[in-house]
Amino acid sequence: MEKILHKERLDDWIAALSDREILSPALEDGVWAFRPAGAAVRLDYPNTTQPPKGLAFPQREVFFSFEQVKGEAPLLRQTLPQVAQRVVFGVRPCDGRAVPRMDKVFSDHVEDPYYWARRKQVAYVGLACQQPPSSNCFCQSVGGSPVSSDGLDVLLTDLGERYFAAAVSETGKALMMAGESLFEAATDADRAQLQGAHAAALARPQRAVRDPDALPSKLKASFDSPLWEELARACIGCGICTFLCPTCHCFDINDEVTGAAPLKGKRVRTWDTCQFPDFTMHTSGHNPRENSGARLRQRVSHKFQYFHENFAMHQCTGCGRCVTGCPVGIDIVSVVNKVAEHAG
Amino acid sequence: MINLQDIRDTARDLLASGEVRAVIGFRSGSRGMAAEPAFITRPEEADELVWDPTCFHNLALYLVEDRKFQAHARANPAAPIAVVAKGCDARAIVVLLQEHYFKRDQVYIIGVSCEGSGVLDERKLAGHLNGFPATSAAFDGDDFVFVTAQGEQRLPAREVMAERCLECREPYPREHNVVLGENRSGRELALPFAALTRFEAQSPAERWEFWQRHFERCIRCYACRSVCPMCFCDECVVDSITYPVTAETTAEEKANRVRWIERSATRSENITYHMTRAMHLAGRCVDCGECERVCPVNIPLRLLNNKMEREARERFGYEPGASIGGPSLVASFRDDDPGQFIR
Repeated sequence: MEKILHKERLDDWIAALSDREILSPALEDGVWAFRPAGAAVRLDYPNTTQPPKGLAFPQREVFFSFEQVKGEAPLLRQTLPQVAQRVVFGVRPCDGRAVPRMDKVFSDHVEDPYYWARRKQVAYVGLACQQPPSSNCFCQSVGGSPVSSDGLDVLLTDLGERYFAAAVSETGKALMMAGESLFEAATDADRAQLQGAHAAALARPQRAVRDPDALPSKLKASFDSPLWEELARACIGCGICTFLCPTCHCFDINDEVTGAAPLKGKRVRTWDTCQFPDFTMHTSGHNPRENSGARLRQRVSHKFQYFHENFAMHQCTGCGRCVTGCPVGIDIVSVVNKVAEHAG
Repeated sequence: MINLQDIRDTARDLLASGEVRAVIGFRSGSRGMAAEPAFITRPEEADELVWDPTCFHNLALYLVEDRKFQAHARANPAAPIAVVAKGCDARAIVVLLQEHYFKRDQVYIIGVSCEGSGVLDERKLAGHLNGFPATSAAFDGDDFVFVTAQGEQRLPAREVMAERCLECREPYPREHNVVLGENRSGRELALPFAALTRFEAQSPAERWEFWQRHFERCIRCYACRSVCPMCFCDECVVDSITYPVTAETTAEEKANRVRWIERSATRSENITYHMTRAMHLAGRCVDCGECERVCPVNIPLRLLNNKMEREARERFGYEPGASIGGPSLVASFRDDDPGQFIR
C-alpha cells in the first residue's frame, strides 16, 4: 500500500490511532529518546541515542515473583508483561533492520514469552534517512540502506510538504487504514519523486566496511591474532557500545530479594554486556575472556561471524552508535577493516 | 602555545634513550575529529602523537590500568611509563601517588599546560554547527578552528570549551618531569562551581525532582566509573561477581553475599550507585569532568562531585591533587577540623 500524507495531517493520523500508545523521538535533557508522543509527533531529529530495542527487550524484565515460608514449597507467580498496543514513529532503517534479527534471537530453539508478549504489541513506523543522521553511519556496508523498509511496518519518506507512506506489513496496512481518509493515492509523479529521493539518499557518502562478505572467514582466521589486544588497548570496559546497540541482546538473570522471612523477591532479567570484565567470570574465579582484547573480539565476532554462521546475516546494522558513543574512540568500522587487512 | 613537535621530540627521545618503556599520549582517531589515547613503545611512533582541543581523555586512567596489568603479570619493569598530562591529569596522578597506587619513579610525567585553552565540549559544538559534523579542530590563540563540509569555522574557545576547563584554576601541571607550555594558572574564565551555585539556589524539592529525573534514565553502562582514574577498586559494590572466590567459598556464601545495589537500572538502584560513587570520590575527585563527558544519556555528574569538592574546600581547606606529600582528606585528622560531633 503506497499513499501520500500531507505533513499537516500527520497529527490527525496520530489522533486516529488514539487507541494505541504512540511513541516518537523527543529531546529531553539533551538526549533524543523515544517517548510517549502525546498529540505531537516529532520527526525532525538526527537519530535517537538509544534504538527502540527496549520496547520489546527492556533493560529490566520481571520473570516471576517468589515467596517461600521456611520448610514449605515455594510459591511462584509468573508475570508476563501486559502491554497495550504501541506504535513507534521515527524508526531509522538501521533500527528497523535490527527487528528481524532480534526476532530470530528470541525465537531460535525457544520462543521467549516475555520478548514476544511485548514484541507482538509494537508496530514500527520508519523514516527514511535522506541525510545520514550521523557521521558514523555505515548501513550500506552491512547490507542495509538508508531507505530500507526491512523490519518496519510502514516506511515514511519526506517529500518536502508530504510524506510518501509505504505499508510493508499487514500491521502497517491496518495503521494506514485507521486514518484512511487522511491519505491520498500516490501518483506516478509521486513515485518518480520518491525514486529520486531514494536514489539521492543512496548516493550520500557513508563510512565503509571493506568486503563485508569476507568477514566471517577472516574473523575466524584471526581468532588468535595479537591485533585484538592492540585494538582494545584504550578500551575502558564500559557497556556503552552494547547498551546503545540495536541488536545486542545479552542478559543476566538475578533474584532480587526483598524479604527474608518469609523469603520474598523477584527473578529479573537485566541487560548484560560482553564488555564488562565479569561477564564470563566463572564461579571459580577463572575468566576465559580475561582481557579487553578478548572482549572486543567477542563483540565484533558475534556481529560479523557467529551470528552470520547461525543466521546467514550480519548482526550489525551500521547505525554507528557504538562508534559515536565510545568514550575512547574504539571504532567498529576501523576495527573490522584492520582485522580483515591483517588476515590478508 | 604548545608546539606539537616538542611533545613528539620529548616522546621520541625518552623512548630512544630507554628512559621510559612506553609513552601514553594522544593520536588522531577515526571517530569524527576526536583524538584517541595512544600507547607507543618505539621512537618512530612518536610522530603519531597529536595535541588539539579534542585531547579530552584523562590519561592517568591508563597508568592505573598499566599498574593493574603489571601486578597481574607479577612484572617489575625497570623503566617508568611516560604519560602526557594536562593540569587535571597531573592532579589525578598526584592523588594516585598520595594513595600509593604507584611510586613516583614508576611514572614519567610529560606535563602539557593547557594555557587556559582547555578542551572542547562536543555537545556545545554540535549546537554551534547546526548538525554539520566537524572533521578537525585546532587551537588558534583564543579561538578554536573547525573544519566542516561547509568550510572552516572559527569559534571563540570559551563558547565551546568544556565547562570544567572554563572553571579550571590550574591548567598547568604542577607535578611533572618535564613541562611544555606556559604557566597561565589562576586564569579561570568562569567562576568555579558555577553550575553547582545555580543548582543550589533551588529548593530541596526542586533539587530532588532534578536528580530523580536525571537518574531515571541512567542505563548503568558504568562508563562514568570506568573512565575515572580514581575508581580503581578491584571489587566494585555494583559488580555481581567480582568478590573474592576461593576454593573454600561455599555455594551458600556465594548466593547469600550482601548485595548493596541490584543490577536493575531502576531509579532507586541508579541513585544508590551514583551516590556511592560520589562518596568514594569525596576529597579525591580532581574535576577532570570525564564522567560527565562520557555519559551517553547526559547526566550532569560533575554536579555531584563538585558538591563534594566544595565541601572539602570550604570545610577543611582541602584541594585534591595539590601535593603528593600531604595527607589525603579522609585519612587525616587535624585538631581544628570542624564537626564537634566526632570528638
